Amino acid sequence: MRSRDGNRTFSLSLCSLILFSSLTLKADEYLISYRYVVKDAILFNEDLYISRAMQKCKGTPSDTLIINSDGFKNLKKIIQKNNTLFIDYIHKLGLDVKHEERNTNLQNSSTTILTLKTTCFKVDFNDNLAKISPLK
Amino acid sequence: MKYSLLFVALLSASTLVAVETDETINNSESIEVVEFKEVQPVDNVDECTRGDCGEVNTINDELLALATNIRVSVVGQGVAPMHTSSPAQAYALAKRAAIADGYRMIAERVKGVRVEGQDLIKNMMVARSSVRTSVNAMIRDASVLETTFKDGLCEVEMEIVLSHSLFAR
Repeated sequence: MRSRDGNRTFSLSLCSLILFSSLTLKADEYLISYRYVVKDAILFNEDLYISRAMQKCKGTPSDTLIINSDGFKNLKKIIQKNNTLFIDYIHKLGLDVKHEERNTNLQNSSTTILTLKTTCFKVDFNDNLAKISPLK
Repeated sequence: MKYSLLFVALLSASTLVAVETDETINNSESIEVVEFKEVQPVDNVDECTRGDCGEVNTINDELLALATNIRVSVVGQGVAPMHTSSPAQAYALAKRAAIADGYRMIAERVKGVRVEGQDLIKNMMVARSSVRTSVNAMIRDASVLETTFKDGLCEVEMEIVLSHSLFAR
């Protein structure tokens, strides 16, 4: 025989399932790469590429950065607003340094390239915050 | 006659025995000397094979693990471009260039520099002399301590802390 509150527990479990699935759906994955070139001590070129991952990334999140999103759900806009903070964070994560210096007939010229190789980041959008963490 | 032959035979036998004993004594002495000379390195090798050297290695590892952190600090320099829309932009660009220079200096100090030189000599005169230096490295957790900007030149003091735990990651 069916209990009286049998439907209630069913509806509760359904609601919790919808709630959890909505929370997990808000966690997105993005591919971010960053590169800048310094020639003869002058910044020559700077690129920051952000795109949504088309495939599920593997790895565990670490070194989380929490930035103010002001209600935006667009990572590009959020990073644009907190550009300095995000670039400093990328520097902390680690960059590849490639430096070449040429000295021909006592005239010097140098090129330094700093690169963040394309890395998958997991981004959690909350009300006013975005949690960005690389997947390693 | 018989006695004389016997006497000669005895004499020769005794001399033979004496030579043999001398040889054995000499051999034993030489062996001893050789052993004495070879003992020390052999003992060391034995220690290594027995695992005593392993203990030494573990002691070294412990020393490496227990060693204090190594701090590498550098000052990177960057210049603002000639044409910028505002002083703030000039500062930002110069700072970015200075940070890159700081990263380069850290990489050079930690990892080392590859140097290639080439001289072209024509008619007993140096026609062209070139030196190429390069460094490739990956720098993580470098921190900016101080930034100064004066007359278009930005100087950034940077520091990186090297510890055993960082390499064990």
